[in-house]
This record gives sequence, structure tokens and C-alpha cells, in this order.
Amino acid sequence: MIVVQIILRLAVWLVVAPLLPGIINKVKAWVAGRRGPPVLQLYYDLARLWRKGVVLSTLASPGFIAGPAVAWIALLAATQLLPLGPVGAALSFRGDVLLLIYLLALARFCTAWAAMETGCAFEGMGSAREVSYAVLSEAALITAVLTLSVHTGSITLVTMLAPAAGAGAVLLGAGLFTVLLAENCRVPFDDPNTHLELTMIHEAMILDHSGPPLAAILHGASMKLLLFALLLTEAVLPVGELSTFAAVGALAGGVLAVTVGVGLVESLLARFAFRRVPMLLTTGFLLCLFALLVAWKGGAA
Amino acid sequence: MTPGLLLLSAACSVAVSIVVGPKFPRTWLALILVGAVAACSAALTVLVGTADLNWHSTFPVGGELLHLRLDALSAFFLMLVGVIGGTGAIYSTEYWSDGHYPKSAPRGRAWWSGLVLSLGMVLLASNGLHFLIAWEVFTVCAYFLVTLENRRSEVRAAGWLYLAASHIGMVFLFAFFGLLASKTGSWELGPMREQTGLAPLFWLMLLGFGVKAGIFPLHVWLPSAHANAPSHVSAIMSGVAIKMGVYGIIRFSGWLPMPAAAGPVVIGLGATGALLGIAFAIAQNDIKRLLAYCSVENIGVIFIGLGGALIAASHGDALWGRLVLAGALLHVWNHGLFKALLFFGAGSILHATGTREMTRMGGLWRTMPWTAGLFALGAVAISGLPPLNGFVSEWLVYLGLFDAVNARGASAWAALPAVLALAVTGALALASFVKVSSIVFLGAPRTKAAAQAHDCGSAMRGSMLALAGVCVAIGLAPVLFWPLVARVIGVWNPAWATTGDLPAPLATLGPVQAVLAALALAAAVGLWRYSRRNGSKRALTWDCGYALPTARMQYSGGSFGDIAAGWFFWILQPERKLRRPRGVFPVESSYVERIPETVLERVIGPARDAVMRVSTAVRQLQQGRLQSYILYLVVGLAALAVLVVLGGMR
Repeated sequence: MIVVQIILRLAVWLVVAPLLPGIINKVKAWVAGRRGPPVLQLYYDLARLWRKGVVLSTLASPGFIAGPAVAWIALLAATQLLPLGPVGAALSFRGDVLLLIYLLALARFCTAWAAMETGCAFEGMGSAREVSYAVLSEAALITAVLTLSVHTGSITLVTMLAPAAGAGAVLLGAGLFTVLLAENCRVPFDDPNTHLELTMIHEAMILDHSGPPLAAILHGASMKLLLFALLLTEAVLPVGELSTFAAVGALAGGVLAVTVGVGLVESLLARFAFRRVPMLLTTGFLLCLFALLVAWKGGAA
Repeated sequence: MTPGLLLLSAACSVAVSIVVGPKFPRTWLALILVGAVAACSAALTVLVGTADLNWHSTFPVGGELLHLRLDALSAFFLMLVGVIGGTGAIYSTEYWSDGHYPKSAPRGRAWWSGLVLSLGMVLLASNGLHFLIAWEVFTVCAYFLVTLENRRSEVRAAGWLYLAASHIGMVFLFAFFGLLASKTGSWELGPMREQTGLAPLFWLMLLGFGVKAGIFPLHVWLPSAHANAPSHVSAIMSGVAIKMGVYGIIRFSGWLPMPAAAGPVVIGLGATGALLGIAFAIAQNDIKRLLAYCSVENIGVIFIGLGGALIAASHGDALWGRLVLAGALLHVWNHGLFKALLFFGAGSILHATGTREMTRMGGLWRTMPWTAGLFALGAVAISGLPPLNGFVSEWLVYLGLFDAVNARGASAWAALPAVLALAVTGALALASFVKVSSIVFLGAPRTKAAAQAHDCGSAMRGSMLALAGVCVAIGLAPVLFWPLVARVIGVWNPAWATTGDLPAPLATLGPVQAVLAALALAAAVGLWRYSRRNGSKRALTWDCGYALPTARMQYSGGSFGDIAAGWFFWILQPERKLRRPRGVFPVESSYVERIPETVLERVIGPARDAVMRVSTAVRQLQQGRLQSYILYLVVGLAALAVLVVLGGMR
């Protein structure tokens, strides 16, 4: 029974995740008045990449392929810690939220490592930006986690995410949304549409990847997006207090809303200049910090 | 064998190795290893068992009766001395061999034995006077090890700075132990928590041990000493010697009553130290200096845990106090292990390329695969990433601090900023270690020396493998190590002593980490095989279509760390010299950046200059003319006469 449950859960994560970038692209196309690529485009891309061979840089070590593989495993493990509303998480224990944050960090380490393998200056820039801006987004993320922890008096994800975030929900939602945009390299922090620029983060890091490792990176990135969208939804909505069907509906609706939101932001905003990125991230951090103060006062009253 | 006998045999074999070491390297290594194994088994016996070793002798040393004590806390640190002392000795036989250094290698072996022996004595001494003697011997042995390569002037300067700083710390320790002895009437050390009058002595102790531990801003000696010492010495300095400062603070904060402000001050020092330590680390371009600053950061992390424990103890919060203290203690081990591993790796690189400048390395994985792999493992561990040991200890600290926040007492206000500092520090550490490992090992070799590097031999590789093995073991099976840590906690604060209750999440975390490691390994191998089967070909790095990429076009370490280092501009104060290309046919242009030792050069340096100026001015008085000396005498007598007259009038 447990095995079946785990397989089902993995299937949901693995299969649903690539849908999100498709939805975002559809929204962008819709706002711009284009038809846009099909919603399932990423699935086609992944299938094609998975069948292809790889081109390796002459400088690359085995870490060039091991990096994306380990990062993908780390992201998959992180998703298994996140509760799926009424069915809970695959594994839940006290302090699992910190493991989740550090699994994301492990994925970051591996992607940045793999990017540096080729000795390409663009990839160097990309990974330098990735690991540096992550300092701010990690601070914001841990503040958000602290907020939820203070609000619920727990450090287990299942308990922390069950009720709504209370009075500070709007602040927390805005803060987490900023973190989501930064961590998933969306506009205004990064532009996922192009990678021929000096100015990119994530796309610059994967310039030299091809074939199955690139598929692992793209799929991992979509899982990360779904992870953050779910985290945001569950933090803001009282998913744990709804009936099963309502909770599933709320989750699906929330993720959809977040995805459409990302698409809208991407359509309406331009990418920021890099010197403004830290300021925006600091704003996200401050939003989370205010949410924390609100949660603190709320609990004291 | 009983722990007493084991310790005796350890001490004897290490003591003999001091004498035979210079002449017979193999015998020396065997003796050191016997000593290390015996010391570790003695420590393990105490840690696993319930009884402490307490040995009162009747013969006096320096006027005081010798009293040795090995309780769980000192045993915990003795394990570290044994492990790093042993592996470092193996490493040094190849790294600092007689063939390469015919003059300094024999000396180095004797001083190494002396250092290991005196470190053991510091841990065993239970008498203030003997503690001070052992502490001084340890400081001096470390000085001679740091300055093994004394022909180079920067080595001598680093050693001198270390010696001076250590002795300033020593002055505080003299004051601490002297006052302690005068207040209690005896040099004997032991639990005296009920004598509340002793609490203010904590500050003396914090300063004295803080210098040795290298907590920011008392770390001034640490970067240059660690960077300029031979790498096996850097490893034991960073892995063990600075931990003795931590030992001192844990030891005496457990035995003495604590002032109320102790906890907040220690946690504050820890949080700032961790943050600024890693900020300095990411800006460095010298690989060993980067590792040294990272030690400052890790000592900060340990202090965060320790400060949390002090706060919890003063409020009587056993639950979260035990977690943070366990995290701090485990981090002492973890940092000792992975930092020694990283310094061994750095030594191997230095051996192969002859430079510590990261900008002169690159692409070393091809010629040094073992070093690259083991260094990478150390880098993952020190960044606190799962599934290795660094994550376990940081996670315990986090758990405790989160509980403190959720308890919503006064301690929450100390725990909240500490959590944030820990998170930012962790992310910066990750950035630093991506930087160092990728600039050194990945990409194309930047110099000819880097292209012709060679991997280390079996002795160096073996000692690195051993340390890496322990790192993995603690990461995958933290459950095995919990009883040892729990016993130390019971010694530090008897009220927190419990028998074998494992925190439930730790029991879950171990298997999770093991599964994660297995999956990661399987995925890496699987993806590698699958991609190869699909067909793989090698081609030039794409580099935006540029056909002839050269090694000089790669991203450099300076540029990699620039974004994060820029945020700490205010304290790093980098000195930049830029010569732009000028004119129609520019001849040369250059850009040089140096990160100064801000505390040393901007605070201590000016203070020293002021003292020197005053002294020089006063020296004007002494110019060797008899007439002026007679004049001084007359003036002095006159002044005395005036004083006497004024005194008589009152």
C-alpha cells in the first residue's frame, strides 16, 4: 500500500510539474495576442532531449553530468517533503522544513558546479549570480519559514502549512512570490526566454548542457517551480482545514493562480537591471520579515 | 585495558616519538599512530561508558599535586586530537618529507609530537597551574610548527603575529586562573557552580580563550598563520588547536557560574563572527587564506550554538538548550574533520602547483582526480549540505533555535537574528565553496604549472580518505554519534543529563540522508551511462560561438565572489589599483585587488603606530648627555621636594 502511494505521489510530481512552464508560456502568448507554443511543449522537449546524445566540452569532468543528476534527485527529494494537502507528505518529521531548504541548496551547489565545468565565462557569470542572489532569497525563505513556524508553533511542514498564514498572509504571500520569481529565474530577475545574453542567470548556466542532462535540468527546474507554487498556496490558504475535495481544488486553483500570476508578471514587466535585483530581493525579505512581526504579534495577543 | 592504561601508553609512545622522531621517520609514524589509537580508545571508553577517569597523584609538579581527569567533555575533544594528530602525521610523511625538506622535516616531527602531547595534557589537566603550563607548551609547539619554513619572511611574520596574539590571550588566562585560585583558595579545577561570586571571571576567560578560538574580531592572527603554515600544520591548527579555545569556554562555562549576559554576548559574537568570517572568505584569492577565514565562520557557528545553550541554561530550558549544544559540539567534530580534509587537499594542490593563488590554477581535476573528488566532498560537507555531516550539526542548531523562537520567551530575541545569520552564512559558505572548488579544479588550467600538476601519493590520499570516511559516516548515521554527544551534554550541565533518549527527528534524518546519498550516486552513475549510451562526443566549450577560447577568458575567482563581496564593501575595504589602457596604442593595463586584514590593518595597526609614536617621542629624553641626566635628577628631586612640602602642609 505504501509502495503504491509513493509511486502515485512520485507520478503526480513528475508528470504535473512540466505543465507549469507551458501554462506560463500560454499566458504570455495570450497577453501578447499570439497563439504560442502548446501547453505540453515541455513534455515534447523533454522526450526529445531524453532520446538525444550529449555533446561534452573537452574540459568537462564527470561532474558535468553528475551535477544535474544529483540536483534532480535533491529537488525530487525536496518535493517529497512538501505535503500535498489532504494526503500529507511522503515523509514528515520535526525539522523537515530545514532539510527542504538545504536540499534546494544542494541542488544549487550541483547546478553551479556543473556550470563551472566548461570554463566558459558566461556560465561563470551565471553561477556567480545564482549563488550570490540565493543568499538574499534564502534569507527571505527562512524568514518565511520562521513566520509559519511562529504562527503554528511547529517546525514540521505538515503542521506549519495546514492553517492559513493569519493576518500576515498577504505580506507572506507577496514575499514568497518574490522568492519564487527569484529562485525560479523568472522575470524580473531573469529572462527564461533567451540565453544568448550576458545578463542571464539560470539560462546562462546551462549553455553547454545537452541531451539527457539538459532534460534533467529542465525537469528539475519545473519541479522546483511547482514546489514553490505549492508552498506559496499552502502557506496562504488554510488547506489543512478544508475537506478533501475542497483542499485538492484549493491546491490546484492556487497553483494555477500562481502560475498565471507569473505569466502576467512576465508579460507586463521587463527584466530589472542587475544592480536592482538585490534591492527587489531585499524587499521580498522585508515583506517576509513584516509577516514575521505580524505573526509574532498575532500569537502574543 | 582501562582508559588510564591506554592514556599512559598513548602518552609514553608520543613522548618517545619526540626523541626518536627526528632520526627515524617510520618509527615516529608508528609511535604517533599507536598513541593516537590508544588516546582515541581511551576517549571512546569514557564516552561510551559511564565512569570518568580521575587520577590524583601524590607527586607535585611545579608545587601542585598532579591531578588528571578525563571526563566525557575532554574525551570528546581528545578524540579529535587523536584523529587529526594521527591522519596529519601520515599526511606529513609524504607532504613534508625528509627528501623535500631535509632540515625542517626532522624538526617538524618532534614539534608535531610535542603539540599532540601538550594538546592531550591541556585536555587532561585538572589543575589551573598545570593547565596553564600545558597551554603554553601547546602554544609554543604550534609556533614552531607554523614557522617550519622559517626562511620565508612572511612565514616568520605570521608566526610572530600568532605568538604575540596568543600571549595577549595568555595574559587574560593568567588573570583568569590566578583570580580563580585566589578566590577558591586552590588551583584545583572542578565544578563550582554554586560559588556565584566567580561569575564575572567569565569575561576574562572569554577573552583568553576567544583569541585562541579565533572568534571575530579576535581572529587577527588566524588567517596568516593558517595560510603560511605547512598544510598539515594548518589542518591541526584549524581542526584542533582553535577548538582548544572552544574547549576552554565550554569547560569553564560548565564548571563556573555564568553571568546573565554571557549567553547573549556569545551568541552575538557567534552570529557576527560567522557572517563576517564568511564575507572575508568569499573575497579571498589565496586558497588557504579562504579556508582560514572559513574557520572563523565555523567558530562563529559553534559560538551560536554555545551561546544558545548558555541562554537556555540560564532560563532552565533543557529541551532546546540540549539541541543547540549538541549541534555546537557535533560541529566541533565536523569542522575539525572537513577542515582538516580541505587543508590536506589544499596542501596537495600547493604541492602540485607550487602556488596558493587560485587564479593560477584551474582544470586540476584531470591531473588530480583524487584530490578533486575528496576536496569536493569536503566542500559539500562544509557548506552544510545534506547528506553529509555539516548539515547534521547545523540542522541541530537550527532545530534548537526554532524551538527557542517558538517558546516566545526572552531568548527568542536572541534566537531570531541567530537563525537569520545562520541562513545567510550558509548560503555565503555555499557560494565560497562553489567558487574555490570550481576555480581550482574545473575549466581549463590557467598556467603551465597547473597543466602539469600531479596527484598526491598514497600517504596523503590515505589520510584524506580516512577523514572523508568519517565525514560520510557522521552524515549517514548520526544516530551512532548521538549517545557520545548526549553524554558530553550531561557533563556540561548535569541537569540536562538523560539516558539515551534520541531526538526522534535525528533517527529519521540518518536513514533519509543515507537514502539520499544512495539515490544521488545511482542517479549520477545512471545518467552518465545512459548519456554515453545515447552517444556522446567531445567538442570545444561553446562560449557564444567563439572559436578559440583560451584559459584566460574563464571567469576568475575574483569576479565570482565580486557580487557577494560587494555587499561587504564597508568592512572588506578592498584596495584596488587600476591602470586603464590609454591612448591610441595602449601599452599595458593592469588591475590589482588586495583584500586587507581589516581588523589588523585598520584598527590594530593604527593603535600600534600611536603607541610607537608616543614611545619614540619619550625616547627623545634619552640622548646620552650626562648634563641632561643630571638635569633630570635635579628636576626629579625638586618635584619630590614640592610633593613632600605640599603633603606636609596638609
